[in-house]
Amino acid sequence: MDKFWKVLTYEYKRHVLRKRFIFAILSVPFFVAVILAVSIIAAIAQTNTSPIGYVDQSGMLARPVTPRSSDDFFSRPVEIRAYPDEDSARAALNAKQIQAYYVLPQNYLQTGNGRLVSYKEPDNGTQRQFTEFLRANLLAGQPASVVNRISAGNNLVIQSADGSRQMSSEDWFNILIPIFAGILFLTVIFTSGGYLMGAVVEEKENRTMEIIITSVSPDQLMAAKILGNLSVGLTQMAIWVIFLSLAYVIGRSIFPWMERISIGGDFILLMVLALLPAFVMVAGLMATIGAMVTETREAQQLSGLFTLPIVIPYWFTYPIMTNPNGPLALGLSYFPLTAPVTLTLRAAFTQIPILQMGLNIGLLFLCAAGAVWLAARTFRLGMLSYGKRLTWRQVFARGI
Amino acid sequence: MATVEIENITKSFGTQRAVDGVSFEVEKGEIFGLLGPNGAGKTTTIRILLDIFKPDSGRVAILGGPMTEAKKDYIGYLPEERGLYQDITLDRCLTYLASLKGLAPAEAHRRINAYLEQFDLASSRNKKLKELSKGMQQKAQLIVTLVHEPDLVIIDEPFSALDPVNTQMVKDLLREQRSRGVTIVMCTHQMHQVEELCDRLVLINQGKTVLYGRLEDIQRQYSGKDILVKADRDLQTLAGIARVQPHNGSQRLTLAAGTSPQDILRSLVNLNVAVEQFEIAVPTLDEIFIQVVQGKQGSDNG
Repeated sequence: MDKFWKVLTYEYKRHVLRKRFIFAILSVPFFVAVILAVSIIAAIAQTNTSPIGYVDQSGMLARPVTPRSSDDFFSRPVEIRAYPDEDSARAALNAKQIQAYYVLPQNYLQTGNGRLVSYKEPDNGTQRQFTEFLRANLLAGQPASVVNRISAGNNLVIQSADGSRQMSSEDWFNILIPIFAGILFLTVIFTSGGYLMGAVVEEKENRTMEIIITSVSPDQLMAAKILGNLSVGLTQMAIWVIFLSLAYVIGRSIFPWMERISIGGDFILLMVLALLPAFVMVAGLMATIGAMVTETREAQQLSGLFTLPIVIPYWFTYPIMTNPNGPLALGLSYFPLTAPVTLTLRAAFTQIPILQMGLNIGLLFLCAAGAVWLAARTFRLGMLSYGKRLTWRQVFARGI
Repeated sequence: MATVEIENITKSFGTQRAVDGVSFEVEKGEIFGLLGPNGAGKTTTIRILLDIFKPDSGRVAILGGPMTEAKKDYIGYLPEERGLYQDITLDRCLTYLASLKGLAPAEAHRRINAYLEQFDLASSRNKKLKELSKGMQQKAQLIVTLVHEPDLVIIDEPFSALDPVNTQMVKDLLREQRSRGVTIVMCTHQMHQVEELCDRLVLINQGKTVLYGRLEDIQRQYSGKDILVKADRDLQTLAGIARVQPHNGSQRLTLAAGTSPQDILRSLVNLNVAVEQFEIAVPTLDEIFIQVVQGKQGSDNG
């Protein structure tokens, strides 16, 4: 057991302590932050904060009230100026004192129709500010509760018949979380699976394998390598989750809608139960490929045999969304390579029956154990043939 | 009790029989030569011995019984296919591999330091393996083999890539290990090294044992037809001689059938020949090796 930990620690440190790894792990949040910052700066820079004008022919704005300021981060306050007639408003527009002006005709209160005059259409934020200005004045004199209720608008909640799932226009983005969580996890699986495959091919290429195997048993070695690289992947994921949490905490104060993001405990449990064995399974298969071939490039090509099926469920996102308990979704849940992504996708749209989930996850655990066994066996066999590639027939042949 | 006991082991890969009924024993504290031409089955035999492969039949006992995980800490192995982690420093590589043999970090550090000094590698300890020469890597590999002070050392071609100075150093090291009671199984094609170092040997050809025993016994077994004589005259005309060849300032006499060395010695005395040297010509291991391997191939072809 002591040697198991030594191999595990070595495998972990050789990646995590490398500058390349630290750079790679920090570069993703760094680039996301840069992209976000550039987007925010660009959005702010493109916002035209010149005043807008209005000509009120309806008399509704004889004594205008100012609405409370918007809580939208991107919405910068725009001055709203009144003009007695359209000629003076036009003159101000031509003199570039205002970016646009609205004309509210005499029958505005009956029709709700107005007119916007500008050389360039004002951005959404500016138009929204004028709409809020109008709403505030239309509701002037009403009790605060009525004003707030009307300002809040509708929130239609869609609920499944069994009451297990619901979604509303205010928290629709929560259904994206399982999808993004799956993508995040796959990235980690493929990255650390790749490390593992590289480590095994390297030991074969540099002939260290035979020395190691006379110190540690193949099963112990493979299990330690797989768990060592799993830990690398989990470290990567943990760091990204910390960055995401930080982004969430910071973002919440800027974007109020982020308050409504929530991840259910049952979903986290499903992620852990489904994706951990999936990780071990993929790692085992990657190690098998690594032990079979003689060159890293060939290993990468062969690994496509199972990396492709893993992402296949994303191609069927729409049928899985529309029918999360249909034959396609069920079939993909029972096939070990497609199960991890399918289960997380289905979890976003339906309540997966416990028995079914147990079967799916049980299968994944079995396959994970099988993949580790296969990796250890192939590793042992791989020593037979330096410079030669093993065939699948040799891998599954008896008598070694 | 022998350190290694191999009894009638066989191993096939597909239709090819790599090892076919090989048996030998290695006694404690001896240097034992495991010899054979390329593809003879030496490496497969070693891998069976180390429990990397299971034999199809036969029995293997090592350090008093079947191989166990615990016994791996008492065995040092230098494989034919050399290799160490190329992208890490020499020090880190040695420390990691020593730790896998059960050495505590402090003890590993102490022994590695001593070996690095002995092997003149101390100044390279912080270099990556890929920056070291082939000879330096070979020495590093020897450190990995010996650092945990094993009871049994199995080394495959220990002198490849070494210059004469380092070859001598490794020979001295192996002798020192033997004097400490370490058992050494040495695979090599360099027969003069075997003659110099090995107490006993086994020769495997085409998966079968063809020679096994003490080095002197084997040499004696293959000698007897030739004698070396240094005399003051040409011995071409001597009775009972089939052929005379010059040999390092002496004459190598191949005896005719029915003639013994004593007959020749008697003739020389009777002829009053001044003799400076008279000895039974012992065949070199190279000659025995070629004779046995080619003889086997000849009989197979015939």
